[in-house]
Amino acid sequence: MSDIILESLNIRKGFGGVVALDNLTFLIARNTITAIIGPNGAGKTTLLNVVSGMHAPDRGTIFLNQKTISGLKPHEITRCGLARTFQTAQIFGNMTVLENVMVGRHVRTRSGIISSALRLPRMRREEPVTREKARFYLEMVGLKDIADKPAASIPIGSQRLLEIARALATEPEILLLDEPAAGLNTQETRQLGTLIRTIKELGITVVIVEHDMELVMDISDEIIVLNYGKRIAEGKPVEIQTNQEVIDVYLGKEE
Amino acid sequence: MKLNRHISTLIFAAVLLLLPLFIKNPYYLSILVFIGIYSITTMGLNLLMGYTGQISLGHGAFFGIGAYTSGILTVYYHLPSSVAFVAALILTAIVAYLIGVPSLRLKGHYLAMATLAFGEIVNIFLNAAVDLTGGPSGFGEIPRIQFGSLILDSELKYFYFVWVVFIIIFILINNLINSRVGRALRSIHGSELAATAMGVNAAQLKVQVFILSALVASVSGSLYVHFVTFISPTTCNIMFSILLVMMVVVGGMANIWGCILGAALLTILPEYLRVFEDYDVIVYGFILLLIIMFLPGGLSQGFAMAYSTIRRGRSKA
Repeated sequence: MSDIILESLNIRKGFGGVVALDNLTFLIARNTITAIIGPNGAGKTTLLNVVSGMHAPDRGTIFLNQKTISGLKPHEITRCGLARTFQTAQIFGNMTVLENVMVGRHVRTRSGIISSALRLPRMRREEPVTREKARFYLEMVGLKDIADKPAASIPIGSQRLLEIARALATEPEILLLDEPAAGLNTQETRQLGTLIRTIKELGITVVIVEHDMELVMDISDEIIVLNYGKRIAEGKPVEIQTNQEVIDVYLGKEE
Repeated sequence: MKLNRHISTLIFAAVLLLLPLFIKNPYYLSILVFIGIYSITTMGLNLLMGYTGQISLGHGAFFGIGAYTSGILTVYYHLPSSVAFVAALILTAIVAYLIGVPSLRLKGHYLAMATLAFGEIVNIFLNAAVDLTGGPSGFGEIPRIQFGSLILDSELKYFYFVWVVFIIIFILINNLINSRVGRALRSIHGSELAATAMGVNAAQLKVQVFILSALVASVSGSLYVHFVTFISPTTCNIMFSILLVMMVVVGGMANIWGCILGAALLTILPEYLRVFEDYDVIVYGFILLLIIMFLPGGLSQGFAMAYSTIRRGRSKA
């Protein structure tokens, strides 16, 4: 296995006249935490959407484990071992917390309409495993006690954790987190940092788009800085903190 | 919870079994037959609407395809009702596939419009193809269902037959809802975006569940035609499609027991409202309005609320 898990080659994505991603090329090393930062409108969320298949890129190729994934549908990319969360938590409000995570097991199970309706052996075999694994991931993010609550009724902080548990249940090799700390208080953010480290220890590569700089500098191995769809800097947190161009972009240039 | 589910199904089946001991009047039995038939249609539609969140205003047409195919094949081609029944299912599956693939790309109002148009097209066809369907006046003398020497020619026999079919479909759908596929369906309702990110092939699954619910509607159409022994286009027009949606909503979206409640209320209500003569439609509309306003989760929500109130009352005492 190569050390590079995700590779993006000359990705371009425009919306009408706006170029959201402009010939973007980057590599993500296996089993690292990489943060993607940049001012509003830099193309961070578009990048996640293109990588996860929600948007097709206009040009360029994305490789996951040397396999081309650009052009695949989102559900196919998930099957390849990539999972994600959303900027505005997209939980299934019509289901319980546990059932939400059980949906995450969809790609790792196979019962179809017929074996489900007739409760054939495959379905009977899969169901307890699905439930058990879902409980495992809920425990990992610390939501085990509210497993049977309706997902719509839990606070936003818990919804974010639920999204992470659900994404983990797909057993990804790489996990994309879109602003997971948005709406969390300081203590919750700290716990989130610990959780992301635990996820890395499981051997999962994490890519995180985040505005909370304290969290980013604390947990990241690598940081990629975007501005107007272009990569303007890349490096370790200390390097980014002292990079003049990044400082200019964030604080404005002195004339 | 799993045990609970089987027990409630068993209790319900037992009640049905014993019901004719108390209800002997053929008129009341025929009402129960219609409730059974419409409960089946509603169950299928609820799978699509309540669980998957995709509306269809054309399910009356699938009911009609089932009814007409069964009727035409048994009357004009003298085929056994079982063969006609299977032929109706095949035709329904083909039509549902052809309609489902393009229209389920649409969402919300647009999907409603597309399925509404489909229902209207089927109805226009049934009216226009006089040679095949008898046109606006329909056709009758459709034979009863026969199993060997047993002919289902009485209300009582048909009552048992319809509700056995109901229980079978009920168990299958109930299993489906509480499975990997059922969770995927509900996840599409919750957030289609997140569902696809979880690896659910939403586009494909929506078409599959559309076909499935159309097949269930076709089954109920076949059951209808062999009971009434007459069919005309008004049986499966747009108003009927909307009535089916009302049954789902009034019973309670995403609640399988709600299907029976919704179908029962909307079948019984017009019978009782006859005392209002010309004003029955107004009273009917008013009652539905009250239900939707005060019980947005439908009658099943009302029952659940009443149950929890009683339990709370008891634990206080």
